[in-house]
Amino acid sequence: MSTAATAATQALTQPATRANADSSAPIRIAVKDLNFYYGQFHGLKNVNLNFHDRQVTALIGPSGCGKSTLLRTFNRIYSLYPEQRAEGQILLDGANILDPRVDLNDLRARVGMVFQKPTPFPMSIYDNVAFGIRLYEKLPKAELDARVESSLRKAALWDEVKDKLKQSGMGLSGGQQQRLCIARTVAQRPEVILFDEPTSALDPISTGRIEELIEQLRNEFTIAIVTHNMQQAARISQFTAFMYLGELVEFGPTNRIFMNPEKRQTQDYITGRFG
Amino acid sequence: MPDHIVTSYDTDLENLRRSISEMGGIAEKMVTEATDALVRRDSTLAQNVIQADKRLDAIQHDIEERSVLLIARRQPLAIDLRETISAIRVSGDLERIGDLAKNVAKRVVAISDQPVGQKIILGVQHMSDLAEGQLKDVLDAYASRDTKAAHDVWERDGEIDALYNSLFRELLTYMMEDPRNISFCTHLLFCAKNVERIGDHTTNIAETIQYLVTGETPTGDRPKNDASNYATVTPGAA
Repeated sequence: MSTAATAATQALTQPATRANADSSAPIRIAVKDLNFYYGQFHGLKNVNLNFHDRQVTALIGPSGCGKSTLLRTFNRIYSLYPEQRAEGQILLDGANILDPRVDLNDLRARVGMVFQKPTPFPMSIYDNVAFGIRLYEKLPKAELDARVESSLRKAALWDEVKDKLKQSGMGLSGGQQQRLCIARTVAQRPEVILFDEPTSALDPISTGRIEELIEQLRNEFTIAIVTHNMQQAARISQFTAFMYLGELVEFGPTNRIFMNPEKRQTQDYITGRFG
Repeated sequence: MPDHIVTSYDTDLENLRRSISEMGGIAEKMVTEATDALVRRDSTLAQNVIQADKRLDAIQHDIEERSVLLIARRQPLAIDLRETISAIRVSGDLERIGDLAKNVAKRVVAISDQPVGQKIILGVQHMSDLAEGQLKDVLDAYASRDTKAAHDVWERDGEIDALYNSLFRELLTYMMEDPRNISFCTHLLFCAKNVERIGDHTTNIAETIQYLVTGETPTGDRPKNDASNYATVTPGAA
């Protein structure tokens, strides 16, 4: 066999870990009969859905379908608003996070969130990342430095900011700010990271960097991402859930959903026939 | 199925379908005329077939280019992606069918001055009629997305293979009986093989139809009866 053929054969026998949906991975979040209300408005209807460990699950659907609503139940951010309420169960590693006795701060440390618009704190880059750590832990400076550095490295931002950690986080570009928010989230050592249209406001290069980052983060964290960009969902997720008018229409491995969905509605949406 | 929100997307796909239809029509005509030319020893008709192949190649090239452009521009998914990939595959199969018919036509000139056993030429024609039927049926199935009709074509290929086997043996016998037969028999052997390959390409198209409609390719081997790899004839045997 030629050297080229030998090399190609060797490359093929390595498992394609990045792309394959692993249904056998343990379930980190189990959504059971979830109903959500904005006052009288029934925003989520009997949603049942599982998020597997260290897999990226994409939530897609037209505007108003409930995908962001669903995402925001996982860290109970809706609890800030009295007229919003959830009924049913959301089990994070078996424990129901909708239970009123749950410590919300603890939950939000375990389940981090990155929003569409980058939200750096009005403080230095270093303090942006250290802020959350300091809330929960009392670390000696060297250890705190190390944690900040490792978080910034995980967010693929370290090389760009290592010489200006004292500068304000607000002075960074949009893409860098977003990665700073990711570093901030990662610093809390969460188990789950939620992304709500993380690249909608970014240019293609920044978008590419964030997508690359998500593929790496997947090795450590379970990820749920809401996105309007079908091709992005197809690129970076292993599982996809299609929602419409508050209901889960179809859920499955991303390859199947985008190549051969079972439901006509799903196909109509992903092929741009939804009118 | 509802239309795409962007109408030009529908237009792109419709144009691909039209081009495949056009290729199909040309290929069908080429196969018919190549065999007619063979049976009647008609060199002029054979020349028409050879010329027609140019148009077929041009359309295939065009379909490929447009399909690649569609993929780049539209990033098609699900049924749209399968339709685009299917257009590339089917145009490739039809282009090969055209080449095979052209090859048959070229041999008409080669055997035009030879005394040819009419019986055996009719054997090739019979095979070709079957292949033409397969081609017509599979193109209809493609246009109407009929997986059942496609599956029937897929299964019937065995008949063409069986005919090819018996023609193969007959031709070997002719060649052994009289060395003066070797020239035309060899050409006819190639013609028969080309027709058998045309049959194979129609089953490829049938498999593509299944993939297009269901997203899955047929598993398992289709009924294959081409045993010519193993065929021998002993001198003196009946």
